[in-house]
Amino acid sequence: MSLDLGFWTLQALNALQLSMLLFLLSIGLTVIFGLMHFVNLAHGALYALGAYFAASVAAVGGYWAGFFLAPVAVAGVGVLLYSGLIQRMRKSGPMAQVLVTFGLIFALLDITRIVWGDLALGLEVPTLLAGRVALLGVEYPVYRLFIIALGQAIFAALAFVLSRTQIGAMIRAGVDNDAMAACLGINVERLFFIVFCVGCALAGLAGAVAAPLLSVTPDMGLQILIPTLIVIVIGGLGSLKGAIAGSLIFGFVQTFGAVLAPQLASVLIYALLAAVLVIRPVGLFPAKE
Amino acid sequence: MLETRNLDKSFGAVHVTRGVSLKLERGERRVILGPNGAGKTTLFNLLVGELTPDSGSVHLAGEDVTALPVARRARQGLSRSYQKNTLFDGLTVEENLGLAAAIHTGNATRLHTDSLARPEVREIVAEVAEQVNLMPYLHARVSEVSYGVRRQLEVGVALATRPLVLLMDEPTSGVGPEMAKGFHDLLGNLPRDLTLLIIEHDMDLAFDVADTITVLNYGEVVFDGLPEAARGSKLLKDIYLGSWEDA
Amino acid sequence: MFRHTPLRYAALVLLASAALFQAFTAEYFGLEILTEILILAMLVIALDMVAGFGGMVSLCHGALLGVGAYGYAILSTKVGLTPLMAMGGAVAVTGGIAWVIGAICARSHGIYFIMATLAFGQMGYSYVFEAPLFGGDDGLGGIARLDLTLIGLDLNDGRSFALFCLGVLAAIYGAAVLILRSGLGRSLSGVMHNEQRMRALGLTVWRVKADVFGLSGLISGLAGVMAAQHVMFVSPGLLSWTVSGEALVVVILGGLGTLVGPLLGAAVFVLLKHEVGALTSYWHLVVGVILIAVVMSRANGIFGWIEARFGARIERRAADAVRDIDPREVKTDA
Repeated sequence: MSLDLGFWTLQALNALQLSMLLFLLSIGLTVIFGLMHFVNLAHGALYALGAYFAASVAAVGGYWAGFFLAPVAVAGVGVLLYSGLIQRMRKSGPMAQVLVTFGLIFALLDITRIVWGDLALGLEVPTLLAGRVALLGVEYPVYRLFIIALGQAIFAALAFVLSRTQIGAMIRAGVDNDAMAACLGINVERLFFIVFCVGCALAGLAGAVAAPLLSVTPDMGLQILIPTLIVIVIGGLGSLKGAIAGSLIFGFVQTFGAVLAPQLASVLIYALLAAVLVIRPVGLFPAKE
Repeated sequence: MLETRNLDKSFGAVHVTRGVSLKLERGERRVILGPNGAGKTTLFNLLVGELTPDSGSVHLAGEDVTALPVARRARQGLSRSYQKNTLFDGLTVEENLGLAAAIHTGNATRLHTDSLARPEVREIVAEVAEQVNLMPYLHARVSEVSYGVRRQLEVGVALATRPLVLLMDEPTSGVGPEMAKGFHDLLGNLPRDLTLLIIEHDMDLAFDVADTITVLNYGEVVFDGLPEAARGSKLLKDIYLGSWEDA
Repeated sequence: MFRHTPLRYAALVLLASAALFQAFTAEYFGLEILTEILILAMLVIALDMVAGFGGMVSLCHGALLGVGAYGYAILSTKVGLTPLMAMGGAVAVTGGIAWVIGAICARSHGIYFIMATLAFGQMGYSYVFEAPLFGGDDGLGGIARLDLTLIGLDLNDGRSFALFCLGVLAAIYGAAVLILRSGLGRSLSGVMHNEQRMRALGLTVWRVKADVFGLSGLISGLAGVMAAQHVMFVSPGLLSWTVSGEALVVVILGGLGTLVGPLLGAAVFVLLKHEVGALTSYWHLVVGVILIAVVMSRANGIFGWIEARFGARIERRAADAVRDIDPREVKTDA
């Protein structure tokens, strides 16, 4: 292993790609928390569903059909979850909601096994994004660059929506103080519903773009859950800034840790999380102190 | 016994406590008056350490306690009751008092003995229950007794740490005038060497118990003196009664 | 504060009789299941102590169990201590680690506490997984059981080992009740009800939380030692967060803050896993649906539901019969 510029570029790109994938997952989760004060532990399971939907649709209609339909389908599942379970749990307190989503992890895990079986599914990288390009002295897969670009585009779009549009202002008001927002005439319940569905769609999108990189298995949701939770707790719950900061920290610590200090890599990120919780118990950029 | 020097506290641009200096002698009973938003509860939070002042200091029994955390100040003899009941709802009245007495007697962290069974704890519980008329309700759960009894318990819990100084934040808030009067009579039963600082909304009740009166307005001490002087004070009427009528 | 009600005594007697009956009559497979239930029951008592009576919902108790198990394995096979000393050492180490985790996490609440404990648990898992001392993915084998031939028990016999576990569980239950009823336990329930007030009364809250978390760690460590002796083999999977998650599910299913409920929950969970697991490989789906149903029913788990349904009546009758006082309504305070 030569520690030249190419090496650093390669690792930085890998880290960035991992960060962007985590960002797609954590942003939905963190905004849902900010508004509704509960952590949807089944968020990872929705990501797995997104990957399965994408793989199934792609088998019939090609990659792009899967790419666009998977988020819609997962948002549809989100609608069912919201109206069937979460809405009814609104008054039962955050702990009960967390536990219901914990139960959902178990249920969705087996449902994906029942529908798609235990064997891993694969998904081909689309021809448009196949191959590698030379970039800053390294050959890098186009598809991974696509994920980086997609993550940044979504971040830019969300930053714009949150800071410049009326619905963004409503969401910020709701995160800040939902009772006050309701007094100001904002339909808080409908806002929750919309945000929940968008969060689910983003989880589905993350699953769809991750599918060609990993094999699609029932437990992929479980594997991504812990990193996603670490991201939002390091970043601070409820904020866009926290989600992007947490994702970048996780992506870089994980990637560079794995190549520079392989024995410590996995302990490193948890130690970092513990340190953040000790020094700043509410994370780096919480939506409110 | 309790003294503050130039206490200042702001939240953002809002200056809630401005240069408050108070001095309470041992056994003194002082009532703090002032309209809503005058910074009375903030002052209490600064005194017990739930808030840290931007500048100024708090002294308890001659010692500077400004840097001490809430629990340390409490162990040195500073106790408070809250305007909104802050009780242990699932537990009985006796257990509520017992928890506080256990902390005072050092039984709260013992593993080998039940704190409530300790004679020194039982003694304090019985004494406090007598002082604030809780004897008939000792075995009832907090959720089963009336609001008025809970107000008595709120003060009882604070008393069960056997404090040197007791801060009471509107002890009669939300109870009828009859009960409020009765409650102030109870204060007469408390040991004379206990220093009391009471936030009170009702002026007449305040004059019943107060040795001295402090009036806060916009976070500032605007009157500090004997009740007789306060009673005739035009200043007090303007600030306090004026805003009372507005509200 | 923990109270024994007539209903709780009745449930304890029933559970203990069923366990004894099973221990004396069951064959190999039945004894294995019984032992599994008993060890899980030790862990969930430790978890209920902190979660149900202190509001500290921990997702690192699986890892604490793993520390106990690995501690015993290392101390007995690599360091060469006698099984009894290795047991004591492993339990003490687990308790110490738990105390430190409790002290560090004491400032965090709600979801942050869950996340913080999860982080420590995963840290332990990753460490054990990677460090060569612990045998990595392969785990460690050749772990001996305690030698109790002096008192006529051969623990290598499944029936004796199950009975021994039952005894250990009984001791743990008794210890948990004593802890919860001590001054420390009462302060803990005060902290759960109203942390701010306890602090204002002069209690050093973090110390109480750390002490109880440490005690809970001792129990988890003991459960881990028993688990290591049971299968005579340890692997990193013991420390996985899914073990902590399952323990939490058992506590919730059984009834948070009732001690007796989690015991019942452990029995139901293991039986469900084996019975449903024999019929279909999708037993997670069944557990998930049951968990969702229990939480949505708003009952405090199976035992909480039983208490709400029958407890009031039984307590009133008992109270009328024994003492001549006003029957008080029974509330399940979770």
